[in-house]
Amino acid sequence: MRLTGIEVRFGGTPALAGVDLAVAAGERVAVVGASGAGKSTLLGVLNGAVPPTAGSVRVLGQDPAALRGRELRRLRARTGTVHQHLELAGQLRVVHNVNAGRLGAWSAARAAWSLVHPQGADDVLAALSRVGLADRAYERTDRLSGGQRQRVALARLLVQRPELVLADEPASALDPALADQALGLLGELATGRGGALLACLHDPALALRHCDRVVGLAAGRVVLDAPAHTLTVAALEGFYGVSR
Amino acid sequence: MTAVLQRAAPPAPRLRRDRRRWVWGLGGLALLGWALAGSGLLSGPVLNPAGTGQVGRFLAAAVRPELGAEFLRVVAGSTLVTVAYAVLGAGLAVLIGALGAIPASRTTWGRRRSGWLLTRGGLALPRGLHEAVWGLLLVNVLGLDPWVGVLAIAVPYGAITAKVFADLLDEVPRGGYRALLAAGAGRGAATLYGLLPPAAGGLLSYSFYRLECAVRSAVVLGLIGAGGLGYQLALSFTSLRWEQVWTTVYALALLCLLADVAGRAVRRRVAAPRPGSRRDPLLTGAVLAVLALAGWAVGYLALSPAALVSARTREQVAYVASAAWPPATDGDLLAAVWSASVETVRMSVLAVAFATAGAVALAGLVARPGGPTGPGRRALGVLTRLALLLLRAVPPPVWALVLLFVLLPGVLPGALALGVYTLGVLGRLVGEAVEEADRRPGDALRASGASPVGAWLYGSVPALAGPVLALALYRWEVVVRDTVFVGLLGAGGIGVLLSAATSSFDWPAVTTVLIAIVLLTVVVDLVGARARTALR
Ligand SMILES: Nc1ncnc2c1ncn2[C@@H]1O[C@H](COP(=O)(O)OP(=O)(O)OP(=O)(O)O)[C@@H](O)[C@H]1O
Ligand SMILES: [Mg+2]
Repeated sequence: MRLTGIEVRFGGTPALAGVDLAVAAGERVAVVGASGAGKSTLLGVLNGAVPPTAGSVRVLGQDPAALRGRELRRLRARTGTVHQHLELAGQLRVVHNVNAGRLGAWSAARAAWSLVHPQGADDVLAALSRVGLADRAYERTDRLSGGQRQRVALARLLVQRPELVLADEPASALDPALADQALGLLGELATGRGGALLACLHDPALALRHCDRVVGLAAGRVVLDAPAHTLTVAALEGFYGVSR
Repeated sequence: MTAVLQRAAPPAPRLRRDRRRWVWGLGGLALLGWALAGSGLLSGPVLNPAGTGQVGRFLAAAVRPELGAEFLRVVAGSTLVTVAYAVLGAGLAVLIGALGAIPASRTTWGRRRSGWLLTRGGLALPRGLHEAVWGLLLVNVLGLDPWVGVLAIAVPYGAITAKVFADLLDEVPRGGYRALLAAGAGRGAATLYGLLPPAAGGLLSYSFYRLECAVRSAVVLGLIGAGGLGYQLALSFTSLRWEQVWTTVYALALLCLLADVAGRAVRRRVAAPRPGSRRDPLLTGAVLAVLALAGWAVGYLALSPAALVSARTREQVAYVASAAWPPATDGDLLAAVWSASVETVRMSVLAVAFATAGAVALAGLVARPGGPTGPGRRALGVLTRLALLLLRAVPPPVWALVLLFVLLPGVLPGALALGVYTLGVLGRLVGEAVEEADRRPGDALRASGASPVGAWLYGSVPALAGPVLALALYRWEVVVRDTVFVGLLGAGGIGVLLSAATSSFDWPAVTTVLIAIVLLTVVVDLVGARARTALR
């Protein structure tokens, strides 16, 4: 995927100001930057939720702006996102929230019937057991803890099986062991299918452990772009302005 | 040595269906199918071809209402009568409510629940009967006296207000009240200082809400002969003067609209008081204006307390009371009451189903979209909201009269009339619910390739289904009462029986029908409440 000269404005203030970024297949990229730097907006541009004010986007070799209807949906189904605020339907059972990852492939009738009689429950259970939640499959999602919900969002991605994986702080509510496991899963999911991973991460150590490349944003611009092995945790902390 | 300990895999979880929800859901569907089967929609003709010409003329008159000075003067006079009834009816109801709240509140009775239960049960009777039913009964006792219109509003509204006021007082946190009691204050003084101040906003707000509803009720009471705009409408209707009908409809729609807007403005102000100033000029003005209106209305309607206690009235009350008991129990009447009750339930179910389906279908248009939109979409939204406004500004019986031109009498015209009106109400409420709902889950699904239907099913419906169904169930309780009322005007259901019995002065039969109506409303309220808890 490739972004050229991307600019996004909400009202007057720019959230992204001239971002150029190219990510090759198989890459795992950590996006770092202070709160409000524009990380979520960048992911939004990539999954089509945020239309750029200027610049051009190519995702998986296609230009989403040139696509309509079914074609656009097909491209979007190949992009999976773990949102910062998860955006799960709390009133639904976990199984349905996971199955929602397959809505891009399902007909409306199948989607409706699945709410009565869950479709593909085996896949859902397999995905849930990979995030350690198999026993909660039929509970209401709003009964789960914050970290458990985050893992439900991961399981949704596992059944969606996208090529481009966008993850906005996917481990913010997880304990260190689970965070490692989650990022491992995401990286595997993306690169295993010849895609790429873009993850916004606030934890420098996690970013360096699981990604090959680190892109730093500040005030809507790319100010750092380096292979992970050239960076240290201390250097990244310095980037966040942590003083020691 | 290798570890052979292996943790047993946890048993695969099973989908356990929420049986209560399924029972209620399937039960609701069965009820709807039963209502549809009985509507005649699936069997035999429902249209009345002879009436289509009349409808054409009626619709054509919409663009040229009668605007002659003389008629306008008549309409203005009728409007004032309607306003006078509404203000006095609501005023008296608030008075009754304030007094009635004392025996109806748990606080008064403490642990002795029997008195509380008795009062609550006693309030169910006046509450269960529609204003128009009260009007019909009062006309027979008081004759054509302005008290009929005022009391027909005040009695049922008073009972509802007493219940709501009592609930509001009971819901106030007890801390302050108990502290005052502990400090040696009497219960009256403690209530005045510890319970009333925190409840005052809610009480005021509800009083204004009642006034708003009273305007609507005053209009429809006219249709059964109590004077005012409704009466004028009925006159023009029976003499087939469509231009006049439309003038009156516009006047009453405007009046209802005005009440709606003004009432909401006042209630919003009560809910969110302006900081700083100690007395809100808007609220003070509104209260003073209503009091002044009430004073004017007594004079305008020439209301005299003497009429209530005159010898004739006392005679009439004594006569009706002795004639009306015991209720009639002959088999023919009971069978008729039963089938009419069944018809009433069918009408109400169809009406609510129609309104709910319509409201859900229109919700996407009614709700103001979150993101930027084109001018076409915005114009469509404004038009839809305006149309809904018109639907709810015209009272259901007027819709019934219009629909009776094109449809053969039976379940359908009444059901559609109530459905159309309820669509106006529910459409707005559901639209508001959609506006308030979180759009992000749906957006997230669209970003991962879900179809619009899929995103709607998995992103929006889960959060909205519960509130929308609860709204529909609440409306069902209202619609059942309104069904009785449109029946009074001939649209079918148990109202027809009641108007037949009263016009032939068959008092024992009237009592039987009234008991059936109260039972019906009580049962519907209970079922509605149970269904709501199951959905929560
Ligand atoms: N929908 C929106 N409307 C208006 N402004 C927005 C919107 N979304 C983001 N912004 C603004 O754009 C800027 C970048 O926001 P963004 O969410 O991309 O930051 P972020 O880097 O993800 O921050 P965080 O680490 O706190 O999640 C912020 O100043 C924010 O206020
Ligand atoms: Mg963010």
